[in-house]
Amino acid sequence: MGLETVATPLGLVIGILCGIVPLAAGIHYKHVRAGIGGFIACAFSGFGCGLIGGLPMIVITYAVVLSYAYVNKQDPFTSRAAITEVNFDESGRERIQRILAGLGKSVRQSFRALTRNKAGFLGFLGIAFFVLVTTFGPLFIRYEGEAHMERRAPGSRVLVAPPSWEHPLGLDWKGRDVLSHMVHGGQRLIITSIQAGLIATAIAVILGSAAGLLGGAVDQILSAIANFILTIPGFPLLIVLAAVVEFDSDFMLAVLFGVLNWPTLMRAVRAQVLSLRERDYVQAAFVLDLGLWHIISREVFPNMVSYISVNLIFTIRIAMYSIVGLTFLGMVPLTEPDWAVMIFTGRQQGVLFLPQASGMLLSPIIAIALFQLSLVMFARSLEEIFNPRLRAGV
Amino acid sequence: MTPIIELRGVHRTFVKDRQTIPVLQDINLSIEPNEIICLVGESGCGKTTTGKIIAGLLEPSGGEMLVEGRPISSYSGKERSALRRQLQLVHQDPFASLNPAHTIGDILSFPLKRHKMVEGSAGVRRRIWELLTMVDLTPPGDIVNKYPHQLSGGQRQRVSIARSLTVQPRLIVADEAVSMVDVSIRISLLKMLHELRDRLGLTIVFITHDLALAKYFAWEGRIAVMYLGRIVEIGRTQDVIAAPQHPYTRALLAAVPEADPELTRHKHMLRLRSDDIPKLTDIPPGCAFHPRCPFFVPGLCDETLPHLTAIPGAAQHAACLPLQRGEALQEAAKAAASGYAG
Repeated sequence: MGLETVATPLGLVIGILCGIVPLAAGIHYKHVRAGIGGFIACAFSGFGCGLIGGLPMIVITYAVVLSYAYVNKQDPFTSRAAITEVNFDESGRERIQRILAGLGKSVRQSFRALTRNKAGFLGFLGIAFFVLVTTFGPLFIRYEGEAHMERRAPGSRVLVAPPSWEHPLGLDWKGRDVLSHMVHGGQRLIITSIQAGLIATAIAVILGSAAGLLGGAVDQILSAIANFILTIPGFPLLIVLAAVVEFDSDFMLAVLFGVLNWPTLMRAVRAQVLSLRERDYVQAAFVLDLGLWHIISREVFPNMVSYISVNLIFTIRIAMYSIVGLTFLGMVPLTEPDWAVMIFTGRQQGVLFLPQASGMLLSPIIAIALFQLSLVMFARSLEEIFNPRLRAGV
Repeated sequence: MTPIIELRGVHRTFVKDRQTIPVLQDINLSIEPNEIICLVGESGCGKTTTGKIIAGLLEPSGGEMLVEGRPISSYSGKERSALRRQLQLVHQDPFASLNPAHTIGDILSFPLKRHKMVEGSAGVRRRIWELLTMVDLTPPGDIVNKYPHQLSGGQRQRVSIARSLTVQPRLIVADEAVSMVDVSIRISLLKMLHELRDRLGLTIVFITHDLALAKYFAWEGRIAVMYLGRIVEIGRTQDVIAAPQHPYTRALLAAVPEADPELTRHKHMLRLRSDDIPKLTDIPPGCAFHPRCPFFVPGLCDETLPHLTAIPGAAQHAACLPLQRGEALQEAAKAAASGYAG
């Protein structure tokens, strides 16, 4: 689905080229540290995602550099000029610079909010670690798909082996290096979980807002559907459906999860909309005749963002467990390399209770658990990033 | 002059738990351009509902509202949205009326951009500067990038007023606009509203429960006293304050505390027969005030509904049957004063 990130040499070139922009800006505005930071950020995102990662990063990092430096001496709002000479005329270039500087400032504020909460920042680092390892790890570690019969330890009847110096995470049942499977096999699970979480959240937000804002029959019908789906035990139904539907892609799995898991969040969003639409500032927007779309997108939605994003994180978490569970039961196509498939084959090959299999089994389990822990901790920071009260300080 | 707003026999009911609650009954009120009119009364008397009907947030359940002499139903959809902009509302609670997610600059720019009040981005920013200066938030550069939570209550109320001015309204309904602001800030806010009215030719409907504020703010204008969904007395502020007619107005005025304890001690207190306000679901027959009224005349007040008419010997109108008859007042007042031990 285009989300897969593979580090390529071309990407590195793109990233470095992109990084020149903030670096040059940093030198020009005499904020070299910000420029170097921008260069590194661009290089990494270009390396990982090519142009899709590099180009937006140019804008963001350039904006951040600009936010340190940009002051228009003519602009009374930025320079605090004397009140007598109010002049807001600006050239197109100055206007773009002012807007970019504003963007950069909010990026910096968000980053500060992210680092302020220790637990949240740790979660962010955890997620970043897994993303970096699964993106850039394949550059350094070759994937071992073939069995390696020659690696059998003398006197052992199985190939599976505990961690050793040569193979830090041990060998799996075919004698392959577990580390290579860990590095190559995480991205698919992570991306499918994120897709599933995004789909469920999107459905929930759209239907919840519609029910809350339109009310009446729409509300009743949507709430009835939500209640109906809520009464069905989700995971068993997912198993049944997974058995019936033939998956040709992971994306289908994500869609299936999304379709079954929106009701809880939808009801919460509906309740939020119901409460937000009665606020005085929504009424004020109505009296000012700002239009329904403005009220939804600028008055109601921004006040739900932190709530929705925290819920998105939790939905991703649940999606990941569901997918791991389905894989463990063998209900989805089992393509290697994949963390969840590693657990499945461990069970299937009957090495679940062998002490030698500790590396092969515990590696994906611990990785999944740590990723989940990082998500939960990161959710704490999201609240601070999206709440202007917490972000902008007192 | 054509009144800017005219309410003719306006009713408003709310339905709650299958019970119809008459919040407003038979409101007749005409508001002249550039006038200051105060709606005064206890909570639940319908003053906020009246304000919301004027601002177009609520539709009357009965009767009609005329704007510039034309019934509101005769305006087309487009005209009506232009009309809505002409009539603005300033909310009571400055902590709830500004969206916490936007900076002050954004909050002011939305209506300016949406209705193309000014040309281009420079125009928008210049107008924001002007508006912030107009409401005495100076220097504007310190305010424009802040979020509402970074401002004090008084500052927020000024922003709220500035926001209502973005669309160049002709009338502003100030619904308890200063009651949640520190006492020390109130006077400066009221002065500012006065200046804005003079400068921009605004009409101001000032809703308050505080007669002292009404007296200060609307000294040149009029006061309408409301009780349980009806206007019971209306007239020029100077007349109403100097010689209140309706017993409810008299009681309200007597209850205004004076800073001087000597004065308070010797003030003539009007004794009400009861302190309990009847519920809106159970409005007494006849004059709604009769269970509390010291002028109560049995057989008259609890049977006949009084209408707003001129009172003999007074400049204002009041809805009180004994007063309109102009008889037996002294006796009634005396009896009431001795009969109720306060």
